Amino acid sequence: MGIKGFARSAVLLGMFFSTFAFADKANDTLVYASDSEPENISPYHNDLREGVVLARLAWDNLVYRDPDTGEYKPMLATAWKQVDDSTLDFDIRQGVKFQDGTPLTADDVVFTLNYVVAPDSKVVTVQNVSWIGSAEKLGDFKVRLHMKKPFPPALEYLSNAVPIFPKAYFEKVGLAGYSKQPIGTGPYKVVSVVAGEGVTLVRNDDYFKDSPQGMPHIKNLQFKVIPDAETRTAELMTGAVDWIWRVAPDQAEQLKQMPNLSVVSGGTMRIGFLILDARGTSSENSPMKNLKVRQAINYAINREGLASQLVGGESKPLQVACYPAQFGCDPSVATVYNYDPAKAKALLKEAGYPDGFETEIFAYRDRDYVEAIIGNLRAVGIKANLRYLKYAALRDQQRGGHVPISFQAWGSFSILDTSASAGTWFKGNPDDNIKDPQVQGWLQTADNALDPEVRKANYRKALQRISEQAYWTPLFNYSLNYAYNHDLQFKPYPDELPRFVLSRWN
Amino acid sequence: MLGFLLRRLGIALCVAVTVSLISFSLLHLSGDLATAIGGPEASSEQIEQIRVQYGLDKPLATQYVNWLGDVLRLDLGNSFFFQESVYNLIASRLPITLSLGAMALVVALVVAIPLGVLAAVKRDTWIDRLALSIAVLGQAMPSFWFALMLIVLFAVTLHWLPVSGNATWAHFVMPAIALGYYATPAIMRLTRAGMLDVLASDYIRTARAKGLRPGRVLFKHALRNALIPVVAVAAVEFGFMLGGSVVIETVFSLQGIGQLAWDAIARNDFPVVQAVVLLIALIYIVLTLLADLLNAVLDPRIRVR
Amino acid sequence: MSTPATLAINDYLPPPSGLGRRLRHCFGHRGFALGAGLLLLIIIGAVCAPLLAPHDPYAQDVMQRMKPPVWMAKGTWQYPLGTDKLGRDYLSRLLFGARISLFIGLAAAVISGLIGTVLGLLAGYFGGKVDALISYLITTRLAMPVVMVALASASLMGGSLNVVIVLLGCLLWDRFAVVVRAAVQQIRDAEYVAAAQALGCTTPRILFSEILPNLVGALIVVATLEMAHAILLESALSFLGVGVQPPTPSWGLMIAEGKPYMFFSPWVIAIPGVALMLLVLAINLLGDGIRDLILPDGRN
Repeated sequence: MGIKGFARSAVLLGMFFSTFAFADKANDTLVYASDSEPENISPYHNDLREGVVLARLAWDNLVYRDPDTGEYKPMLATAWKQVDDSTLDFDIRQGVKFQDGTPLTADDVVFTLNYVVAPDSKVVTVQNVSWIGSAEKLGDFKVRLHMKKPFPPALEYLSNAVPIFPKAYFEKVGLAGYSKQPIGTGPYKVVSVVAGEGVTLVRNDDYFKDSPQGMPHIKNLQFKVIPDAETRTAELMTGAVDWIWRVAPDQAEQLKQMPNLSVVSGGTMRIGFLILDARGTSSENSPMKNLKVRQAINYAINREGLASQLVGGESKPLQVACYPAQFGCDPSVATVYNYDPAKAKALLKEAGYPDGFETEIFAYRDRDYVEAIIGNLRAVGIKANLRYLKYAALRDQQRGGHVPISFQAWGSFSILDTSASAGTWFKGNPDDNIKDPQVQGWLQTADNALDPEVRKANYRKALQRISEQAYWTPLFNYSLNYAYNHDLQFKPYPDELPRFVLSRWN
Repeated sequence: MLGFLLRRLGIALCVAVTVSLISFSLLHLSGDLATAIGGPEASSEQIEQIRVQYGLDKPLATQYVNWLGDVLRLDLGNSFFFQESVYNLIASRLPITLSLGAMALVVALVVAIPLGVLAAVKRDTWIDRLALSIAVLGQAMPSFWFALMLIVLFAVTLHWLPVSGNATWAHFVMPAIALGYYATPAIMRLTRAGMLDVLASDYIRTARAKGLRPGRVLFKHALRNALIPVVAVAAVEFGFMLGGSVVIETVFSLQGIGQLAWDAIARNDFPVVQAVVLLIALIYIVLTLLADLLNAVLDPRIRVR
Repeated sequence: MSTPATLAINDYLPPPSGLGRRLRHCFGHRGFALGAGLLLLIIIGAVCAPLLAPHDPYAQDVMQRMKPPVWMAKGTWQYPLGTDKLGRDYLSRLLFGARISLFIGLAAAVISGLIGTVLGLLAGYFGGKVDALISYLITTRLAMPVVMVALASASLMGGSLNVVIVLLGCLLWDRFAVVVRAAVQQIRDAEYVAAAQALGCTTPRILFSEILPNLVGALIVVATLEMAHAILLESALSFLGVGVQPPTPSWGLMIAEGKPYMFFSPWVIAIPGVALMLLVLAINLLGDGIRDLILPDGRN
């Protein structure tokens, strides 16, 4: 251990005296920067967007969802068949190799599916795999997947959030070893993972030819963790980084003026919302227990102003606890809370808080949106003090039930199904702070029913109650601004997944 | 001399233990550690198991003694967040902070010593006051703000220097200036005072009387003597810089121990915080000890006290 | 980040005589005059903020976001220093922000002054074991990295105005203790103290009515230093998000909030930054001036 540490120190000292090459088209290296780093690069052991991006670069799923048409296409599985309500059979593609050269077989798929549902695996993305019961090997290239219950959106999950691990390698190195040197079948191979700095990847030239996403173009990819937004912007402006995202609208406008940069924006599935501690676990006398207070908060927020002035771009105000393009997400069932500070004040008065109250609002991102929300709340008499934490810390606080109000953002893991949004936050999982049994029941039914109409009806009931009870204050969907080197070809998708595999230099 | 040395060493050791006690208490202010390690998924039995496994069920005093024992064997425990031992994390980040501290010290000395000499030689003229103003300005500017201004000017506007990271020495220039400027006034004043003392002393007067050239007197004789206390103070300033580098490392996204500690603070990763605080304190203690010894060697009067 | 103890002892010895008769020279001292004038201006701005501020510092107006200051092409007198990203008047926030900085500086200096002075008095007067213990405390305190401990504690306790004040007060007492201890050691054997002892005065009485008044000059000098130090630390804490929380208009927080705009509208961070710098400069100049005036030969 110690020797390794010192070896690394020596390497770092060496780097100190080496020369620094700017990454760009000339040396076929795309450097992309983002704010957070996954605590563990294994796609099942982090729930960060940066982790999802890496998961798509180094790993493949069984199924591919075409980002342009929404059609499911064969990926690691060449064909699949619904055997019964809760059983799916897959033909595994032959001739696919993991990046260490071992061929992909049914064993790897079976291992992965069984591994992720085993409690010892400590999977973080529970909501993505909890529907899986078990997997069994039917032949060298044939796998049967048993679901716990009928789960209609199975393919949606399999095409987004269930990457396949190499059995032999993973069993050899274990999770700790795998997190430092992961192996997948994906179009890019992870070269190194350095905590606090980022991940270096190189094109997998042995990537399977028939992949629906095609062969990667750019040779080297480098993911740099730069927590500070202005540092990222400055790095882009000076050419040390080629691609950044989550650029605030004002800065996007300004970057558009720069001749060597391109800026695009696209609406995304990511929704912003406040979770209100309706059960009152944060403190015994939490005003959030009072429905009128929660409604008042909903009326106090200027969603239109937030969406158009602060988030900007394609952002739209939101009243429902899911993203409207998701299956089962019907915005019309939601109670419409229009911006009405007077009504909010009246409701607070009825609730017994004529002079408002003091509380805390927790957040881990978008500080200026939160400040605007604090301003809105202040205007009706609610003095919300900001507690700004890192994501993992906030998640622990939230799951521990210590949070009266939190500002959250949720991208549904790019899954176009309400089970991935409302289903994640209200179905009794660790993230469900509300624990409304009625809502939980409807969501259970909706997630598992085979009849699309039954699913829709139950989602509608759940969403309606969430809205009536004002458990959340849904705010807006995000618009994402990307800024990048104008030598790069890049197309944004609403699922908020930059597809560097499809990118190339001009 | 030996007695003095032993006494100072003893005190240094006690201080180190006290600091470790304080940083340990810091850890236990953060709430139930077992729950933090187990993570949100852990059941209460699992948490109990962790509590036993990590020795968290024992009385605090026992835990502290155990922890101290581990620390003495260079085992700083494991990070709650990264899949890595704290020792490895620190070993990989320390060179960056040390490089930054060293370069910042160079910046401070390069600015402060010439200014101090100039101020002493041109005592009570406008040059003296100007030199003092430049130094005082360094103490008045918030270092993070100065750092931002440097980025705007030298990286974004002029494209002279890279913004963030630690790939080459050029990456350290701006952070070192931002960090080093703050230490300038102390060193500058000390140089000035030292120079004035030496210039007024008998042997310089003798040297001058012997007809040595003024430049030679200044640099060969006066400066050398005036700088002795500066060396001692510079060592201590270096210790302060390591502690203060956290803000600068954050601004420049430098992955040193300061940034490591700051990230760890935000993630409740307290084994890391505790280890970094202890490490910086230790470095400071060693440096002050060295400075004291240096002073003692140079100035026998101190030993008697 | 503070000056080491060994320096402080020699630098801030108490005055050999009362400072009253030197006061008339004060405004002849350029640094003192400049510092005092500047500080007075800032204090007036802070105290009269409700009268001087053209707008409510908390009032948001999304239609008036990021207006440039008056001296720039599109600036208007409606917002002399422009507006921030939420459309709040920058001048008003700056004026109210002065209150925060001054209050934190003053409060932290008072708390740390109390702690440090008491410890220094005890150590200096009693000597022996008490002195050894307190010196040990001082050494330990100096070995702890202030910024990091402040960050960790503020983040643990949750940043707020009160937390910042208490924290800084508890962290910055070392220089007071060092200076008072050294000064008391010198005064202890002076004739008037011996006389007081002979008259049967109690120890606390001797400490507070005989010794302390002689330290006032030195204490003021140290207080200015620590006040400046506290103001800078608060700004750093707020800048990193664990100090004073929004929407309170702290200058450090204003820099943090203006940071996204620094490449294209540098005035957003330049204004609060310059304000901080002037305030700290004023306090430092004042401190230096007082020291020069009460210790004419101290610097050399």
